[in-house]
Amino acid sequence: MPPAAAPSTPQNRVLPPKDRKAFTELLAQYEARQLTKGRKTADQILKKFPDHGETLCMKGLILVHLGSREEGVELVKKGMKKDLQSHICWHVFALIQKGERNYEEALKSYTQALRFDKDNANILRDAALLQTHLRYFDGLVESRLAILKQRPHVRHNWVALAVAHHLNGDLVEAKKVLEGYERSLKNVPDYDVEYSELLLYHIRILEELGEATEALALLDVNAKSRAIVDRTAIMEYRARLLSSLKSADAMNAWRALIEHNPDCYSYYRGFLSNQEIDLDSITEENRPQALEILRSFSAQLPKANAPRRLALVVATGDEFMALVKQYLSAALVKGIPSLFSDLKSLYRDPQKQKIIEETAEELRERYAAERRPDSSKKSEEPTTYLWTLYYLAQHHSYLSRHSQALSTLEAAIKHTPTLPELYMCKARALKRAGDLYGAAKAMNEARALDGQDRFVNTKCGKYRLRAGLVDEANEVFGMFTKKDAPSPGADLEDMQSWQYLIEEGDAQQRNGKPNLALKKYYAVERIFDQYEEDQYDFHGYSLRKSTLNVYIDLLKWEDQARSHPAFVHAAVAAARIWVALYDDPSIATKIQSEGSPSDTDKKAKKKAKKAAHKDKDQEDSNKKGATGPEDKGLEVPTPKDDDPEGIKLVAVTDPLERAAKLLQRVAGLVPHDVNVCFAVYDVAIRRKKYLQAVQALTRARSVDPEHPGLHIRIVDLRKAVSSLPEPVPSPSGPVLAEALSAILSEEVSLETYNSQYLQQHSTSAAAILASARVSRKLESPRDEVESLLFTALGAEVELSIETALEIISFLREIQSPRVDEFRAACDARFELSTVFKTRDQLAILRKECGGSGDEIEESDKVEVVG
Amino acid sequence: MHVRAATVDDLVGMQACNLHNLPENYTMKFYLYNALTWPSISYVAEDHKGRIVGYILATMEDAEEQPDGTPAGTKQKPHGHVASISVSRSYRRLGLAKKLMVQSQEAMANIYHASYVTLHVRKSNRAALGLYRDALAFTVKDIEHKYYADGEDAYVMQLSLKPQHEAR
Repeated sequence: MPPAAAPSTPQNRVLPPKDRKAFTELLAQYEARQLTKGRKTADQILKKFPDHGETLCMKGLILVHLGSREEGVELVKKGMKKDLQSHICWHVFALIQKGERNYEEALKSYTQALRFDKDNANILRDAALLQTHLRYFDGLVESRLAILKQRPHVRHNWVALAVAHHLNGDLVEAKKVLEGYERSLKNVPDYDVEYSELLLYHIRILEELGEATEALALLDVNAKSRAIVDRTAIMEYRARLLSSLKSADAMNAWRALIEHNPDCYSYYRGFLSNQEIDLDSITEENRPQALEILRSFSAQLPKANAPRRLALVVATGDEFMALVKQYLSAALVKGIPSLFSDLKSLYRDPQKQKIIEETAEELRERYAAERRPDSSKKSEEPTTYLWTLYYLAQHHSYLSRHSQALSTLEAAIKHTPTLPELYMCKARALKRAGDLYGAAKAMNEARALDGQDRFVNTKCGKYRLRAGLVDEANEVFGMFTKKDAPSPGADLEDMQSWQYLIEEGDAQQRNGKPNLALKKYYAVERIFDQYEEDQYDFHGYSLRKSTLNVYIDLLKWEDQARSHPAFVHAAVAAARIWVALYDDPSIATKIQSEGSPSDTDKKAKKKAKKAAHKDKDQEDSNKKGATGPEDKGLEVPTPKDDDPEGIKLVAVTDPLERAAKLLQRVAGLVPHDVNVCFAVYDVAIRRKKYLQAVQALTRARSVDPEHPGLHIRIVDLRKAVSSLPEPVPSPSGPVLAEALSAILSEEVSLETYNSQYLQQHSTSAAAILASARVSRKLESPRDEVESLLFTALGAEVELSIETALEIISFLREIQSPRVDEFRAACDARFELSTVFKTRDQLAILRKECGGSGDEIEESDKVEVVG
Repeated sequence: MHVRAATVDDLVGMQACNLHNLPENYTMKFYLYNALTWPSISYVAEDHKGRIVGYILATMEDAEEQPDGTPAGTKQKPHGHVASISVSRSYRRLGLAKKLMVQSQEAMANIYHASYVTLHVRKSNRAALGLYRDALAFTVKDIEHKYYADGEDAYVMQLSLKPQHEAR
């Protein structure tokens, strides 16, 4: 921090020369982090001038560094009050706020500091970083300009200004700044990676501006002079630019890229698109040409998979048959385990699916014949037959032919009982068939065959979680997590494994422990908060390193990081729990009265306690042994979690507000995710925010107008609005009415609406359930609702295991005497499934697959609307 | 599988893939640091759904004292280092590790003039050792004692890179 030397120093800040010298020393000591010395110096000054604001602030800052946060912050605030016109005081305050991650407020303080010292380089720089972090790009441009004016000779200041213009959407200015800067450069050393990056950034800006000719010229000159050193980047820019200029050289540019990396699909796409062939919509006219191109690349690049695989997308009929036969047999002979997941996407075309099945069956027969001892042909390895069975098992399982998949796998396992892939496949087939315990057991068999492989270990844990075996899952995870972590889950959380957190959160929720589920979902939120936080250091770093293209990509990624499915899932799942807790406060009361932690939790707690103890011991010994006091920095340490079970959490008084807060973070990023729309609706309607509610439904309707979840909510909203004692006032009222009637005309009665919906979707079990819920809501007698639900068992109705479970849970909700009847019917219908077994049967199955056999609650799904 | 240079958008997928496959894991900051320092030398393999099924996370190491005892001060050429490489079990036998490695090495040599690449492997990890030695032509140069957090030793493996010719 530079010394305070304002021309018109206010009276209360003036110190006699000796003390002023001491204050300058104090600043230097702080800069050098000589914290104890600094504190002494501050105390010296304060002895004589106890009201000296800047010294108070500096002492406070030092105290925070030394770990006395509360006392330090108190002093800073006191100092602020004494001298509100000191840039030092504001700067100190900003640093404290930044440490608290309160960036908005910190930026305000920096702005105040600049009012009193507008050219302070440190403050300007810090303010620019915050402006970038907070995306205040107007202000950022101003800060960068001010910095540049002060120090035009510093190279990064020019680059920083160009980036600021770029972020502010002013590509033309960005370009101008870069041009001016590049002209001023002299004696750039050879092979300067930073300069190379800068030029590539410049070319990107030109490309974004649509100035392809100019971009190409800049690229070519600097590629030739070798100022740009990244050859792949040169080739990629070149191909793209030449294509957009419709240049005859484009084809060769794409070809060069393909030869450089023959497994990069986008290069083939580029090559084809340059010939006006769009891989996603091949026409009868261009199909032969596309195939010819891919065929010639296949011949030229025998080791590349991409052209062969792409040809399968393009080819049809007999041509496809010939190509896929080659592709399949080559992969089966090589024993490539990913063959099925590689080809699966072709199954969207039923004809291709049929051809693949026939071909695979044909190969199986051939390989089986070759295996026979009397066979004269022994060309194929015995494993080829095995991999063929493996392929077919996945094929059948994917198409829901569960028994066929399992019998194929039995044959394969008989052939080779030691291949983990077969058990993994069996696990997946069983999972799809609804036998979660059997699936977990099979996955554990796979794991046992290769205990060194974390991939199988992770799968095994995941399958156990799917079966609700939380403790058993953590046991296997623990084989690979850090031994000194308080628990396997704690290590996975530290390592930001949102996959684990989601799976365990879901498992806890299914096991009837919404408190523990919420804890996991909020841990996911924290991971994404950290992802956001992580960018802070790079606002300065990337400019210095000149890695600008990737930095711009970083900011773009950060802006939509929370659209990641994991975050969306966590937000929606947590919101559903909050809504359930709001609807039924007895859930929270029950959790609180039970409150006794499970055994593993106890164990984990003990371990955590031990670890904390160890930390403390460490700390103590540090204190004794260390020569100087430790700099704890300015960042607020994460407070200890005093509610690891979420028991206090479920009892908060503002569940809906918490749900809304979570959903707010995703609603703008994934506005057309129906689950998000529904969750937003469910929260909004309870908060009586009708406009928000109707907007959520309008959005959902634009995506999937017949969605069963939408049907229920439309009725719910109409009922809610029409039963309001007073109409919603203007301006929201009329907007609401209009939006609602656009969804459902006022002339249609809810009864008619519901029966029409049922008529249109009578072969969908999910729609039947939705219609039944609505009937119940419209006060139809229970037996009528029951009979309607039983139509879901009809042979012509599509009924999934998930929907069947939801129906059972709804029957229970309306206290139907026919729950067991429905359950037994499902148990018969889903032969392999275990989810429809009785409680006793489940306990036995659970024991069989390594579970503790404890009583588990029958999975009551939390229903949101109803 | 689609093999291409890693972008910022891939880092979450790389982190997930790493956690799935390997016992040495890192927080996002580490991936970000590498990507924003050496943006063009890490590669990924993705499946048809766009999921990352394999990756190589590469870094550069600057000149330092030679490990073989050449006196300090002898300027050593910069070299690349593989911080982490893995391919999900279900995507093995496609040669993905090699494809990723080859692309990354070319970029290291081309952009940073790396003269060789190093990597660490657990002494007990025979499968990986075999892959690096037989398929990727690395040789064991050294042993680092207690390199891993759990106290296991690491082999330091190395591969020389051919100087990149400037032909384009």
